[in-house]
Amino acid sequence: MSEQMPGLPGPRPDATTEGYWTAAGRGELVVQRCSACGVDRHPPTEVCYVCSSLDWSWEPHSGHGTVYSYTWVERPIVPALAALGAYNTTVVELDATSGVVRILSRVTDVERDDLAVGLAVEVHFDPAGEGVALPVFRPRSPGGGS
Amino acid sequence: MIDLRNQAAIVGYGHVPFGRRGEHAEKGHLRLVIEAITAACADAGISPQDVDGYSSYYTPIDPPELFEAFGAKRLRYTAQTWGGGGASMCGAFQNAAMAVATGQADYVVVHKVMTMEPGARYGQAFGQMGQGIPAIGGPFQFSVPYGLQAPGQMFALAARRHMHLYGTTTEQLAHVTMHAREMAVNNPQARFRTPITIEDHHASQMIADPLRLFDFCMETDYGCAVVITSAERAQDGPNPPAYIAAAGVGAPFRFGNALMSFYNQPDEDFASSGQRAVSAELYRLARMGLSDMDVAMVYDHFTAMVIMSLEDFGFCPKGEGGPYVEDGNLGLDGPLPVNPHGGNLAEAYTHGMSHVNEAVRQIRGTAVNQVPGATNVLVVGGAGPSPTSGMILTGDAT
Repeated sequence: MSEQMPGLPGPRPDATTEGYWTAAGRGELVVQRCSACGVDRHPPTEVCYVCSSLDWSWEPHSGHGTVYSYTWVERPIVPALAALGAYNTTVVELDATSGVVRILSRVTDVERDDLAVGLAVEVHFDPAGEGVALPVFRPRSPGGGS
Repeated sequence: MIDLRNQAAIVGYGHVPFGRRGEHAEKGHLRLVIEAITAACADAGISPQDVDGYSSYYTPIDPPELFEAFGAKRLRYTAQTWGGGGASMCGAFQNAAMAVATGQADYVVVHKVMTMEPGARYGQAFGQMGQGIPAIGGPFQFSVPYGLQAPGQMFALAARRHMHLYGTTTEQLAHVTMHAREMAVNNPQARFRTPITIEDHHASQMIADPLRLFDFCMETDYGCAVVITSAERAQDGPNPPAYIAAAGVGAPFRFGNALMSFYNQPDEDFASSGQRAVSAELYRLARMGLSDMDVAMVYDHFTAMVIMSLEDFGFCPKGEGGPYVEDGNLGLDGPLPVNPHGGNLAEAYTHGMSHVNEAVRQIRGTAVNQVPGATNVLVVGGAGPSPTSGMILTGDAT
């Protein structure tokens, strides 16, 4: 269960995705990288979409990215979320990956009018169950690091 | 190579009166489907016992149940296509056409039914998976924990990106609904027959910014059925056949499962209906282009996705769907009339079946907003989960 958004389930890792979620649980963002051709991909899958290799590893990522698209949900499906007011779900495109890597997430610490396509963001983490956390993002100040 | 162009035809359609959400709940799915198939077979001039094939795109009523209920002489063919909601609807017609054209079955029924239990809502299929459980697995482990739980929210992501790339406006979204309402004024079976203004649209509740209530289609209880047979048998029916010039499903490179759980599409596909691949294939197989079409049925579950479908099917260049609808091009006096029945936004939401019904009526010349001389009709499946789909029907098989 997400700590920031009670009422939403946490992720249930499987053999393919466990490394991603447990890294997040340690406060680290990782991206799946093909061992053969070096292309990055997300969500994690068993096979490289470029070269068909089955071998891959988890590559640490800076957690820097930009907002690609977003929506503010005003009428949530889960009743428990209604008390939180409008929340955003945001697609973040990660910086400096080999191939496009976009992650569906949320931008925290942002006023509604300030969330926009192209906004520079950095990762932080929302604990979401034993040993796992959800990577979430917040605005990154110019020149600031994570 | 076997050419399927115009080798199969729609010869009958039927449906129960469209109801509001939950209105037909007591009747139940089986009764609704039975009534729809009975009506479709009467329209086709056959007995339900002649139906020896079923082709589906998700149905709560399986073919064996129907085959048994009607006491059909024999069952010879069943098929199922994938793609949630009405995305792959035309794929069910593709499978039916292949079956009857190659002699695998004589009469194939495509049916679709929906009735909502009290309290249930459309779009909850994957929202509910996130309720009352501590954790969610599978593809939704990357979306539901963030609160992305309904189609409207997914499509809002596409709409926002489209606005960013091309300057599409909420006024332009409003024009899609305004058009649908205008068309439905004459349609006695339509749910929403009152015209609206941009102001009405903007005053409706924001649900998933930038999509408001009036950008969403309605929820409908329905049962619909269509009968497909070979071009040869179609000559025996009481009504002019609507030949299937082409029908197919598809998705472009890296389209993934649309925006339900995958977000890495190339830019032109992220802000799209995902139908580029389907439209190119349809025009090739039908040996016709958009300029040959007389009227178009565009799946309109969400206004923004209509704009993107128009682009993917070539009504206008990529990115110009907003101005295209704003300039009134969807109307009966436009270059290619769209959804003269009022579509999902104003008539009923039947996961695509009512669009097929209207395509057949236009070809027969029996529509309430009849396009004079309509012969070739484009049917566009739902933008959404892969694969999406499309179909071209024609009254002229020569």
